[in-house]
Parts: sequence; structure tokens; C-alpha cells
Amino acid sequence: MRFDLKVALRYLLSNRLQSALLIGGVAIAVTVFTFNAALINGLAEFQIDRVVGSSAHVVIEPAKPAPRIVTAPAGTERLVVSQRALERREQIKQWRSVERIIDTLPGVTGVSYNINGTGLVTRGQQTLPVTLKGVEPSRLAAIAPIDRNIVEGEPRLGLNDVLIGRKLANDLGIKVGQPIFITSNQGRERTLTVRGLYATGVDSLDARLAYVNLDTARVMFDLPEGLTEIELKLADIYAARAVAKQLADTTGLEVTAWMDKNQRLREALEGQGSSGSIIKMFTLITIVVGVASALLLTTFRRRPEIGIMRSFGISQRFVLSVFMLQGALIGILGSLAGCFMGWGFSYLLAQAGKSSGRALPVDPSLGQYDVALLLAAAASVAAALWPARSASRIDPVEAISQ
Amino acid sequence: MTAPLLEVDGLRKVFVDEEFETPVLKGVTFALQRGEMVAMLGPSGSGKSTLLSILGTLMRPTSGSFRMLGRELTALREAELSDFRNQQIGFIFQYHHLLPDFSALENVLFPHAGRLWRETRAGRERAAMLLERVGLAERMHYRATRLSGGQKQRVAIARALMNQPALVLADEPTGNLDRENADQAFALMTEIQRETGTTFLLSTHDRELAERCERRIYIQGGVVVDAPTSAALGTSPAISARQPLRMVPGEVVAVVDRTSNTTRDDGDRRLA
Repeated sequence: MRFDLKVALRYLLSNRLQSALLIGGVAIAVTVFTFNAALINGLAEFQIDRVVGSSAHVVIEPAKPAPRIVTAPAGTERLVVSQRALERREQIKQWRSVERIIDTLPGVTGVSYNINGTGLVTRGQQTLPVTLKGVEPSRLAAIAPIDRNIVEGEPRLGLNDVLIGRKLANDLGIKVGQPIFITSNQGRERTLTVRGLYATGVDSLDARLAYVNLDTARVMFDLPEGLTEIELKLADIYAARAVAKQLADTTGLEVTAWMDKNQRLREALEGQGSSGSIIKMFTLITIVVGVASALLLTTFRRRPEIGIMRSFGISQRFVLSVFMLQGALIGILGSLAGCFMGWGFSYLLAQAGKSSGRALPVDPSLGQYDVALLLAAAASVAAALWPARSASRIDPVEAISQ
Repeated sequence: MTAPLLEVDGLRKVFVDEEFETPVLKGVTFALQRGEMVAMLGPSGSGKSTLLSILGTLMRPTSGSFRMLGRELTALREAELSDFRNQQIGFIFQYHHLLPDFSALENVLFPHAGRLWRETRAGRERAAMLLERVGLAERMHYRATRLSGGQKQRVAIARALMNQPALVLADEPTGNLDRENADQAFALMTEIQRETGTTFLLSTHDRELAERCERRIYIQGGVVVDAPTSAALGTSPAISARQPLRMVPGEVVAVVDRTSNTTRDDGDRRLA
């Protein structure tokens, strides 16, 4: 064992109560750090899951065609007012080539090829606007877990079937197995049978969105070949921006990641993250102040001993190292204990929430233990620097005569 | 004749604070030969401890020079001085100043292990041998706090010798001990000095011990004087202020050069 480490350990063990209090102090600060991380990150995951869990992480839509600009005669100045070109229907015609690109992408857990459009649903004298989403029956649950949200009927989409939200069904006074009359915005009319009712918990969806077979949607929206949207689900939701950029670059289509479609959620998460960072910063400051003040006291108490060491030629570097090592040992032991306590506390709260039915959004796996360990140890070493330097610069003659 | 171990020339030390300048040493000049045991006497405040601190490279002089083993020590930087001190100078203080959290063995080993940043088998063996030599073989693993005053001072003597220094500076080494322990400690230093040829410079008020040294240096008013006044020595009948101190016949039997291989008559292991 290195001799400076042996001396540092001996000093820590010689005053066990003080060392235990110091390590305990660091452990409590790290507990706060990791529990705070588990809570803030758990809450963020919970919110993201609520918002993104039932929707696509990446959405591919037709490119917005730029308006054609008439060439101006030479020598004339040109003022252009740009307006979105509406002369052609927007669709993804070459979607098969996009499908091949998607197949090569890693981390894609689900894809849905859709035709979306609006229409009116009529039953008796009641007419309500709906958004029709045409999907392949086999990919019905690729994006949203509609199959798990079915509360009545079954998640089946034949050519004449429709799945509607429970609220829409209530508004229309309709039940599973009954027919509804739908008119698309292309003027196509069709009578479909309600095969199932779903409840996502989001009223706007449950009152407006109706799922139909993709082939039915082709007919109703006059799109024999193209699609209006391709949705992707990813294993790592935070890779969405990178995937979106890659797809946009390779396909030339308009590709949007979920975070760019949910600006408010992003702002809320950033706000949460900032407040979490402030709490973490204060825990680190607590560690620095606690360790520095305790080691300064130790340095003062051991001045005569340091003077003696210096008198028999022990170098300033050795003395510096002894006190830096004490800081590092306190930091490492305290943060290890703190990580364990933080994980345990988060785990207990998460379990208690589950058993009481009021699940707390604490995720023990998101405690940032590695970051806490590194930062707390670094803070302790940094805190030890000042006392260690002051110890190494003690005047031996003055210290011995104390 | 070999060159002196230590040559001190015109050493001055002035302490300066916000209000006063206090000259403590006013031009001290003397030399120490290798293997000598020299007592330094003088009244309190005469500058003995300051001189020992400067000779031990713990403090820098205001002016003057001192050379040891041919090196001008006033010219060395802090790290070089620290290294030189570790290798060539041993300290024994009035109060033992052992490190309380360490055993007797670890205290003796400290100057060696602290320089190398690790303990070595050779270092532990030498520390154990030194403790055996000072009669503490049975207690080498005792914490320093569990030893008596006399035992602690013997550990301090062993510690001072750990790195085989050329010079041991002892500041009132028996001042904190009773007569019996003081005599034992002094006898031990004398034996070791004979065996190893290590030079000892002892600052002391104990005229009886001083009389048993080979040579005495008197410091008075910040300078070395040939014949101290009564103020320097007190009025003890043991030593007259006007009579030079005499050697105790038979007390010093040999002055051994550090480079020689002299061993104790009783066959004890060599220290140097």
C-alpha cells in the first residue's frame, strides 16, 4: 500500500466519529442528488410516456412543394410573395422506396403506413366531424396500443369495419356491431360497421379519431397508390431527431421528431430539468463546504504533527497527497453509500406507490448514480485541495512550537 | 585532517514584524567535525533554538552561510532542503513529538517510508533494529500514546537515526525527562555516536550532561563566546562560570568516523 494512503487512512480511522459524520454528510447529499435525479427523470419519463407512448416518435409526411416562380425579364426587379402550393394533393407516392430505407434503420420498433383524412359521420340526424386514419390491419397497434385500449368489441379492421372512440360512440348513441355512415372530404360515402370501441383517456382522440382499413381509406380519399403519412416508433425516443434528419436527408420528405411536435412538453421538461440541476448543484456545494471545513479543522488540529513530518524532510507533495487522499476517500465512500441509499429510497417509494395504487413517478434506475459518484468524489477532492495546500505550507518551526 | 562536517560563518537572523526588528543571531561562526558530540549552552533567548532551526534547514538565515558535507545550504531551494534534511539531518526535540496515531515502529519508519512513498522490508528491518537498539524491541508495535515519557524519547532518538544522518540536532533532548531517564537517553546518544560516528549537536541547559560532551559551544547574546558569563551558565557549583568545562575522564572513549566500520564491543549490530 502506498504510504501516503496508509497515513490518510490512519488519520480517518483515528477520529472515527468525525470521519463517519463527514462520510454520512456526503452520503446524504448524494442521496438527495440521486433521489432527485430518479424523481425528476422518472417524472419526465412518465410525462413523455403519456404523450409519446401512444403516438409516433417520427412522422414522415409529403414534402411541401415550393411554388413555381415565373422568371423575371432581364433588368427588372422581382418581388415575390410566397404561398404554399395547393394545386396538387400532397401524398407520398414513392413510399415503397421509403419503406426500404426504413427497413435498414436500426432501432425502429414499429412502422405504420397511413392515409389520413377528414370526414363526417352521420347517424340519424346526428352528424359529427371525424378524422379517419387508414392503417394496415396488421399494423394497427404498431404506434398506439389500440388493441389494448379496446373496451368493447375487438381490434379487427376488415374492409367495412371501423374502430371509434368510446366518446364518439356515446355522442352518436351507437354500439358495437351497428353501422355508421361516413362521408369523406373527397365526397366519397361509405357505410361501415363499428367493430370496436376504444378509450385512450385522451378526450380529443376518443371523440374524433376513427380507424379504418388502409384499402378502405384509399377508396374514400382517392389515393390509389400514395400515402399521406408514415409513422415510426423507436426503441430510443431520444434518437428521434437524428433518425428524422437522416430520413429527411435521404428521402427529401418532411420528417418531424416527436419533440419538435410537442414544444410545450419540451419546455416543461426543460423547466423540470433546470430545477433538478439547481438542487443537484446545491448538494454538490454542500459536499464541498462540509468536506473543506472539516478537513481545515483537521489540518489545524494536526499542525504540530505536520510540522514534525516536515522537520524530518517529508516533502510538501507528500503532505498534500495525504490530505487530498482523505478528501477522495471521504468522497468515494460517502458517494457509494449515498448511491445505495438513494437507490433504496427511490425503490421503496416506487414500490410503496405501486402497492397503494397511487404510483409515484420515481424510477430508481434513473438516479444518475455514475454521475453522482463522479461529481461527489470530484467535489470532495476539490474541497480537500485548499486544506491540503494549507497543510503542505505549514511552517514546521512555528507548528512544532505550538 | 578531514574537512569539517559543518562550517557556520557569520550567521545572522533578524526576526521582523510590523513594529520591531529583533536580531537573534548576530554573526555566529563555528565548525563541527565529523563524529563529534558537542553541547551548545546558553541562557534562554540566546538564540540556541533559532540556530538549531537554521542548521536543520527548517529556517533560513537573514545573512551568513553554512556548509554541510561541502554543500552551501543557504543556496538550496525548499524541495532540495527538504530532501537534504531527510537524508542528512536527524532531529530530537525536548518534547518527543511522536505521531500519536502510529506505532513506535511506524514512527521510526516514517522518515524513510515518507521519502519513498512506500514501506520497504529493508526499512522495516532497520526501524526494528533501531528500536531493539534503544531497548524497545518488545514495544515496537505499541501506539506512541501507550509509551512512557522516557520510552517516547528513545523512539524519537531511533527515528532521528532512521535515514543514517550525518548530523543529529537535539534541542533540549533530556529537558522533559527525569534524571534517570535523562541519563539513559544521553547514554544512548553517546553510545550511538560512538558506534556510528554520527555528529551530535545538543542544545541543553543541563550542565552535567554538557560536561560529558566532547566539546561545548557557548551562545550568548546571539554570538558564540569563548568564556561565558555567569548569566550564561547560572550559579550551579557544578560548573564555574569562569572555569572552562572539563571532560569527564573516560566518558568518551572514541570518536568514530562515519565511514569506519566500528562495532560495539558487546557485538551488537552496527547502526551505520
